[in-house]
Amino acid sequence: MIEIRGLGKSFVGQDGGTVEALHDVDLDVVENEFLTVLGPSGCGKTTLLKCIAGLIPWNEGDIVIDGTPVRGPGPDRSMVFQNFALLPWATVLDNVGFGLRLRGVGRAEREERARSLIDVVGLSGFETKRPHELSGGMQQRVGIARALAVQPSVLLMDEPFGAVDEQTRRLLQEELLSIWEQHRLTVVFITHSMEEAVLLGDRVVLMSARPGRIAEIVPVPLQRPRSNDVGALERSGAYVEITAYLWDRLREMHEEHRPSEVAG
Amino acid sequence: MIALTERSGTGTVPRRRRPDWRRMPVAPLSLLAGAAVWEVVGLLAGVPFFPPLSTVLTRLSKMVSDGLILPSLGDSLVNLALGIAVSLGVGLVTGVAMGRYRRVEAALGVYVYALLTAPSLVFAPIFFSLLGAGRGSIVAVVVMYAMFVIIINTASAIQAVPAQLVEMARSYGASERQLLVSVMLPAAAPMIMAGVRLGVGRAVAGMINGEMFIAVVGLGHVVTEASGRFDGASVLAVLLIIIAVALSAVALVQLVDRKITGWVPSTSRGNP
Repeated sequence: MIEIRGLGKSFVGQDGGTVEALHDVDLDVVENEFLTVLGPSGCGKTTLLKCIAGLIPWNEGDIVIDGTPVRGPGPDRSMVFQNFALLPWATVLDNVGFGLRLRGVGRAEREERARSLIDVVGLSGFETKRPHELSGGMQQRVGIARALAVQPSVLLMDEPFGAVDEQTRRLLQEELLSIWEQHRLTVVFITHSMEEAVLLGDRVVLMSARPGRIAEIVPVPLQRPRSNDVGALERSGAYVEITAYLWDRLREMHEEHRPSEVAG
Repeated sequence: MIALTERSGTGTVPRRRRPDWRRMPVAPLSLLAGAAVWEVVGLLAGVPFFPPLSTVLTRLSKMVSDGLILPSLGDSLVNLALGIAVSLGVGLVTGVAMGRYRRVEAALGVYVYALLTAPSLVFAPIFFSLLGAGRGSIVAVVVMYAMFVIIINTASAIQAVPAQLVEMARSYGASERQLLVSVMLPAAAPMIMAGVRLGVGRAVAGMINGEMFIAVVGLGHVVTEASGRFDGASVLAVLLIIIAVALSAVALVQLVDRKITGWVPSTSRGNP
């Protein structure tokens, strides 16, 4: 369980002024929950995720995971990056095993676990390929396999499908659902797509910008498992209703901050 | 060094059969043409300091059989190897430290840039007076020629490592040592090797200049002596040897480079 209390983060902007990226964020993520975080750009959703990952410090508040305060990166968490962040010189096998290698897992065990995860993400046969030989979708499968290989209890995903095309994105969403249904772990998933947020999430955290704060937490009462018939789910009344509601809220936020742009 | 290049002649579109200029071996032809120009200009000019190639080659084979070349060449190669080894060892460590730590860069940057741009040979008399007219002085001159370009390229290469890779490794709990060894050095390797290639080329120049200025040994000494006798053929004969040494050294670096950076896709290589 992740408990975030009164989290505040500000940094010095380019003009020398202080920018408040996160303001008084309170959030609980329960065990094995799939939580999606949705918001306009600049709302601090990636900052929030990096704080949970322990990659950046914050100014106020606490993040506690299963009773332990976050002080830096830890073996209980792993992250999937928007731009994949694969090692270009390493093969698929070595990329998937990279987190294990950093944690001192020996070669034999590392490769065995990497191979089984490569199988989970459907890349068997590509073990010896290098990233530049793979499509964007395949590269992100490697990123997901690398994150799962270290057997985290919390998976942090930073707009993982933002850099792939629409068709690949849909396939990856379905596969992520089915992986999560089988492996069961806590996921915090950042996205700017309300469809993606609703399709994947148990709850959608709606954030607003300047300063970044939680505007609303919207439960998604769609039944699980969802991976077997995504099409039917997307035509269901509840799905349509929630995405429409989220868009209404997002549109309000955009109008508040950029009236001229919307009016023009 | 990120210039895009496309390999020619690998297209799959069938073409009509005709003499394909792109398949001609360019380097040997170019050498042959150069040799012919040298021969002709040398014959026509008829000056003692630019004899035709054939005269120079004859002189070279005579010098070799007289035992003038090989011992000197051995001396020079030892100077070169020692100089390159010091340049690589100190250069890579300093470059990585400067690229990784701002304070190190702030402390050393001014020296490195000053010594990179200063004409390296002006240090020869200083080494001569400090270290005497021996191997130490020549090796020091080689280092002055070769090391700073290696330092600067290594520092820039480390700074150019994509931040996302560093962040990724940190998210998996990488220690500083793991970050350097498993992420930064491999990511920086192509650019580091470009600096090493430049450095090795400069090391050969440093070896010759150092030997000409200081030495009583090595190829540089042979050149100095021959030019003192106004013996143009001998000077050029030694020059041929020096060029061969330089090209072999650079070829060796390229071989190592291929081994280390074989992962770089051919479309983003500077030199196919």
